[in-house]
Parts: sequence; structure tokens; C-alpha cells
Amino acid sequence: MYASRWSRVVALVLLTTLMLVACTPKATPSAGDDLISKAKAEGMLTVIALPHDWCNYGEAIETFKTKYGLQVNELNPDAGSADEIEAIKANKDNKGPQAPDVIDVGFGFGPQLVEEGLVMPYKVSTWDTIPADVKHPDGYWYGDYYGVLAFEVNKDVVTNVPQDWADLLKPEYKGQVALAGDPRASAQAQMSVYAAALANGGSLDNVEPGLEFFKRLNEAGNFVPVIAKQATVAKGETPIIMRWDYNALADKEALAGNPEIEVVIPKTGVIAGVYIQAISAYAPHPNAAKLWMEFLYSDEGQLIWLKGGCHPIRYNDLAARGVIPDEIASKLPPAEAYAKAVFPSIEQINNAKKIIAEKWMDVVGADVK
Amino acid sequence: MKARALLGKLWSWFWIVLGVLYFFTPLLATFDFSLRARKGMLTFLAYEHIFKDVNFWRTFGFSLQMGFYTIIVSIVLVVPTAYWIRLRLPQLRPLAEFISMLPFVVPAIVLVFGLIRVFSGPPFHLTNTFTGTNALLVAGYVVLTLPYTYRAVDTGLAAIDVRSLTEAAQSLGAGWGTILLRIVFPNLRTAILSGAFLTLATVIGEYTMASFIVGIKAFGPYMSLVGQNKTYESSSLAIISFLLTWAFMGLIQLFNRGRAEGQLAGAR
Amino acid sequence: MPFHRSPRDARQARPALPSSWKNWLGVLPFLLFTALFIVLPSVYLLVGAFRDNAGHFTLKNFADLFTPSILSAYWVTIRISLVTAVLGGLFGFMLAYAVTIGGLPRWMRSALLTFSGVASNFAGVPLAFAFIATLGRTGMVTVLLKHWLGLNLYDRGFNLYSFWGLSVTYLYFQFPLMVLIITPALEGLRREWREAALNLGASSLEYWRRVALPILLPSILGAMILLFGNAFGAYATALSLTGGFINLVTIVIGSQIKGDILYNPGLGYALAMGMVFVMAGAMGIYFLLRRRSERWLRR
Repeated sequence: MYASRWSRVVALVLLTTLMLVACTPKATPSAGDDLISKAKAEGMLTVIALPHDWCNYGEAIETFKTKYGLQVNELNPDAGSADEIEAIKANKDNKGPQAPDVIDVGFGFGPQLVEEGLVMPYKVSTWDTIPADVKHPDGYWYGDYYGVLAFEVNKDVVTNVPQDWADLLKPEYKGQVALAGDPRASAQAQMSVYAAALANGGSLDNVEPGLEFFKRLNEAGNFVPVIAKQATVAKGETPIIMRWDYNALADKEALAGNPEIEVVIPKTGVIAGVYIQAISAYAPHPNAAKLWMEFLYSDEGQLIWLKGGCHPIRYNDLAARGVIPDEIASKLPPAEAYAKAVFPSIEQINNAKKIIAEKWMDVVGADVK
Repeated sequence: MKARALLGKLWSWFWIVLGVLYFFTPLLATFDFSLRARKGMLTFLAYEHIFKDVNFWRTFGFSLQMGFYTIIVSIVLVVPTAYWIRLRLPQLRPLAEFISMLPFVVPAIVLVFGLIRVFSGPPFHLTNTFTGTNALLVAGYVVLTLPYTYRAVDTGLAAIDVRSLTEAAQSLGAGWGTILLRIVFPNLRTAILSGAFLTLATVIGEYTMASFIVGIKAFGPYMSLVGQNKTYESSSLAIISFLLTWAFMGLIQLFNRGRAEGQLAGAR
Repeated sequence: MPFHRSPRDARQARPALPSSWKNWLGVLPFLLFTALFIVLPSVYLLVGAFRDNAGHFTLKNFADLFTPSILSAYWVTIRISLVTAVLGGLFGFMLAYAVTIGGLPRWMRSALLTFSGVASNFAGVPLAFAFIATLGRTGMVTVLLKHWLGLNLYDRGFNLYSFWGLSVTYLYFQFPLMVLIITPALEGLRREWREAALNLGASSLEYWRRVALPILLPSILGAMILLFGNAFGAYATALSLTGGFINLVTIVIGSQIKGDILYNPGLGYALAMGMVFVMAGAMGIYFLLRRRSERWLRR
């Protein structure tokens, strides 16, 4: 009697477990109407850190809004990756419009997102076409786009456009070269140092030559210690800056010839930077978030990014299938320039970060007495 | 006597001219840059773009509203408190001043996350409604402008004899409400106005708190969005927001001018 | 409510207070507001300062405050705050004086006050760009000086992107702040006092030295401490102008809690706590000075 009751309990438990496992929705392979209707029921998506001219996010957001009739709540377009992470943490108990549903952060932050339990896994329907080395195997985070470090040059001020890192040291560029951020806080600036390292005898594991290069640049008087933006380039105050190619292309388009901008991918030292997408584990609108991901990783979404000058993560797949329209392809720098691009791994990025952040002030910092 | 008066005036003019030079030159440089939206000519195109942008009007109006609420809450909170401390609890003055300085050292970014954490969860749940969210924003702004408001009011109180005025009023039978409304507030008019100007300007341009609490609905985040990628528009926007804010302050000043300017203490 | 028989009594005797707990009622709203909206969120700051990235308790963040680069950051920040507080105080005072007592047309007072309201908040990216457009290498003034006077600022060693360049930029919001804070105090100076002093044979200078300045000193000091705090906490302007090159505490905090590279919020919060201590220290000095100056007043 006793034994049989026990065995019934065990059987019941096993059965229940099996049923639960079977019924747990695995990442379903399609953005079916089911997901769309669930997302519409939520009515809203909250995003953060998406400037409208960064990879053409403006168009992505508008298209998403009109296509699915959802509201999009845009928080802090200027946020850095750390801001986004803090926003998730601070809003753990918050189901209001301050809690971000989705985030777009630097590649190096991936492991931390998983460790701290900040994101939920989701595999989009086009999951298999995302290269394996830029996504988490369980779907916690996945690369969204990449670009390479380029020079943005104001041709109205600089007649002889530099083509490579060594050119920047020439005396004709005195007081003209600047970074687009603080290397201790901005991925764009940090990658500039990293790229300079590659061009000056360093490697993905040795970033010191990059710091040396900027030291020489500073000593030669070519370096302007201000954080450059589109405005300072247009003004001529910082006519040569180092930026992600997509940002430089966006600047070129926005300025529309006033002044003339040229985007140069350097001949040596071409480094690629990947950003990753993830859904917050505390997202108030998880289905809207999933729908957003489906949209971004569909051909339509990927091409919107390409229009903004970013290489979408499924670029190779899109190119292989020949779905890239010519007008978009022609606006980008030639593909050969990208052939030499190097993709640092997460550990390499995080190691380089530490060294650059520690040593930057010694190398270039103003010696204020 | 006349020579001294003239010399005195010259001295004043000297400083004002210096001031005007210092303040207007950077504005002129920005203005000049904002006119160059088309190559080789001066044009108001950048201004057109801003004025035609629906979001400009919407966000400016929103932040203006928040500014006014902040001013009202600040004044209602600070003036009676500063008055009371001067009158009855002078030993509390150092503490009040220290508290009023705290917003300087708690970075806005930390404050905003702290506020969200504390007030979005139980038991407040402020962020579940738009009104609650806006209230949270106003509270944050009151904190942010506390140093200026408190200092302005405190300086104003230093210039009037609080104790005598209060006792005179009380001996005439006035209650606390009357004292506050008809003695304290009118005498602090300049100080309150100064505080109000500072608050309005701060709120309209504020970025960090607005961007995490209401996102691009507020003017600060809107300016940042424009500044990201529209060079000439960001300069024209800077000039426009400067002039508009100045105009609103002028309106407040005019509204104040309508009443008799006499102050009980401090007639020059 | 006990009334006083004569004005003299009012000033000498401490008025007999009703049950003293009632006095605290008057400040209750303020204290409550402070507790809810300043103290409570700041606990977030305090707790975070003792945590490391894994969430465990640690004192390392505070220990890290004493590394040379961070100490130098504090020193530079204190210096720029002091410089701009003093310079801002002096020039702001002169401006406020000019439009209140200085005998200028009435409309200038309103114009200056309202302008100061706006200018005191013209900071961050627009201000930095305005100064770049004025005094940068391709700035309006730089270019004009070159054309008109043949004077090349940058060859002479001037550099906007330096401590002094940043100070000049900071002053743009320091001067107006001083004007706004000190104007009510200046307007509190009664004409009768000046006339009485002159009648008694004092010169204008002596009036200022013996009467006006001592009366104004507490307010001036108070305004300067405000300017100090204002500069101390400035972030966006410094970031835009000299971001990665001059080490200010606010910038270091920003790079720890806001950036794409470093991520050590615990250190950032500890840095902020350090700022609280510096501010407390500054206020301590201010209170000392003010108490001495208030001896002149018999309120």
C-alpha cells in the first residue's frame, strides 16, 4: 500500500514535470500573429540610448510604430552602456515607462549582463544567420550591427586628406586632430586608441603602442584636447576626428556638403566594433520587446540599419542572398576597405579597456599644476 | 557732489560694459554659426527648421509647465521654512544650509536612479501613472534647485528685520497666515523672483533627470537629440531657448511690476 | 504669546518660547521633504559606495579614493571651484552694484536680473560650443584678433582647452548666479545709512569699508559658497570642453557610472561621498567666516 502510494506520487511528479517542460514555450521560430497580438495588448515599448541618427534608429522606431501601432517611449538618447545597465537595475520593481524593455550596449558588456541576471533569453526567427562568435549560445544577448573606426575629415578645411594613421602625425595637421570622446568613458574613443595600436606595431593583445601614438600626436601639437562632435568638425575647430564609420557617414549626410565631409577608412589599423541587443529581465513589456527584436533582425530592420551606414550583423547573409538594394550599397565605403577589419574578442576588449583607462591620463592628460 | 555722482556712474557703466562684452560675445559667436546652414551665405534656415518642428513646441511647453510647478512647490516649501528657522530655530540654520547644499554633491545621475528606486516600488508606486511620474520629476527638480532657492530666500531674509516685523504684526493681531502672506512674501519679492528665475532656467534646460524619468518628452532631452546630429540647428536651438527663456522671465518680471514696488524694509 | 514691552527688550532678551516642540512643527514639511527626496535616494549612494561590482561589502572603494590620480582630481576640482567662486563673486558683485546702487537706469536692473536668470543656466554643451566658437583656434575672437591686431592667441600660449580656459567658461554661469543672489542684499542697504555715514564725515570709501561691506559680508560669503558648490558639481560643461584631459571629480564619477568603458559604480559613489566631505569642509570654513562677520551685525 505504502509503496504503491509513493510510486503514484513519484509518477505524478514526473508527469507534471514532463508536462511543464513540454509546455514551456521554447523560443518560437517565427514572429507569428500570436506575438504581434500579445505585443499590441501591451501597447508600448520603452527603449533607451537610441539617438535617431545612430544607425538610422529614427527610421527604425518610426517604421516599428506605424507597422504595429505600438507606442514607443524613448528614454535618454545620450546614455552610455553603463547608464542602460543602471536603468535596468534601478527599475527592477518598476512597471512604469521609466523601465527600459530593450538595451543596445557594447560588446564587452555581454558576460556581465548574464552574470547579473539582467536580461532574458530570446532567439529571433533569423537566429541561425547570426554569426556564432557574436551571440550568446542561449540567446541572452546577440550582436546587432558593427562598424569600423574611420577618419571623418572636413574637406573645406583640410585639403590634403590623411589616408592612414601615420599621416596624422604630419606637421600640416597641427592642431586639427581630435577624438570623439573620452577614452575612459566612450567606446568610440577607446577603439580609436585600439586601432592606433594595430597600426603602430601593436596587436589585439597589445594596446600600448596606441597610447604611444597619441602621446606622439599630442607632443607634435596635432592633437586638440576637446571632445569633438559634428559641430566642431563643421566649424573647423577639429577638422579631423576618429569616429565609427556609420557616425561619420551620418554626419556627412546631415551636413550635406556644408562643409564637405570625407569618410576615410584608414589603410592600416582597421578595427571593427560590435554592439549587442538584449531584452531586460524586468521588462514591463516583454512581448513588445520580442516583437522589436523580430523587427530589427528581419531583412527590413537590417536594411534600415544599413541605410544608416551600419553593417547589420546579418550582412553576409543579406549579401549572399542579394537583397541589398544598390542605392544603399553605393553610399557605403567599398567592401575592400572592410576586408582588413579585425574583430577583437570580449576578453581582448575588456583587457584593452583596463589598460587604456588606467594609462590615458598619464599619456595625454593635461598636466595641471 | 555732482562730480562724485558722475564718477560713480562712470564706475558702474564700466562694469556693465565689461559684462555685456563678456556675455554677448559667445552668444554672438553661436548666433553667427547658426546662420551658416547654407554654404557661403547667411540664412535663418536653421531657425526655420526648429520652429517648424512640432516636438520643439511640445517639449518646451512641457518643461515650462514643470518649471512653474517646481517654482510654486519650492517657494511654498522654502520661504516659510527659512522664515521660521530665522525666527524660532536659529540653531537649525547650519543644518538647513548644509541640506540645501547637498544637491550639489549628489550627482544628478545618482539622484535620479535613487528617486526611481525609492518611488517606483511599493509603497509609493508613483511611476505607474503619468501624473505620478511628473510629480516625481517636479520633486526631483525642487531638490536640484534647492541650493539656489534657499540661498536667495535666506539672503533676502537677512536684509529685513524678521523679528521686529513679526512682533509688530502680531501685536496688531495678525495670525501666522497673515504674517506669511502679507508681510514675509511681499518683502522677499526680489529674492523670490531671483529664485524663480534660477529655477525656471534650470528646469527648462535640465537633462539628466528628465531623460530617465520622462525621456524625450522634456526639452533637455529634445535639445540633446537635436544636438546629436544637427549642427546648425543645435546652435539655433541654443539661441532660441536662451531668448525664449529670457522672454518668459521678462513676463514674470512684468507681472511683478504691476504691484506697488514698495518694500517695508530696504527702500533705497 | 508673550509680547515685549519695549523695542530694547526685543533684541536683548530671548523671547520666552512656547512649548519648544511646536517650533519643530514649522520645519516639519521641509524636513519631511528632505528625508523623502534627498536622504532616501542618497542612501542608494551611501550603500553603493560600500559595494563592489559583485555586490559584496567592501571598503576598497574608499581606499581607492587615495590613489594619486583621484587625489589630484579632487585638488583640481577644488582649485577651479575656488578660482571661479572668488572671481565670479567679485565681478558679479560689481555688476549687481552697478545696477542697484550704482545709479544706472532702472530698466537695466530688470534686464540684468532676467538675463542672469538665463545665463546662470547656460551650461553644458551649448556653453562649451559657444566658447569654442569664440575662443577656440577658429573662434571668432581668435580670428578677429589675428586680423585686426596681428595677435595670435594660441602662439602666445593661450589655450581654451586648459584649466584657465575652463575657468573662463565656468564664469559664464558664475557671474549671473552671484548677481542674482547678492542683489536682494544690496537692495537691503538703506540709503539712510549711507547718508548718516556721510553726515558724520565719512568718505564714500569709509562708508563702504566700515558700514556697507561688513553688513554685506555674510551674504557675500554665502553667495560665494554657493558659487563654489555650483562649480564643484559642474559636469556637462567640463566634459564637453576638456572631457578626457583635465581630471575633475565629476568627470571621473561619470566615467565610472555612465560610460561604455569602465564600470565601477561603487567607486563612483565613493567619489560622490568624497565630494560630500569636501563640501562639508568648505561649509565649515564658511560658517566660521560668517560667524565672525556677523559679529558686526546686531540682529
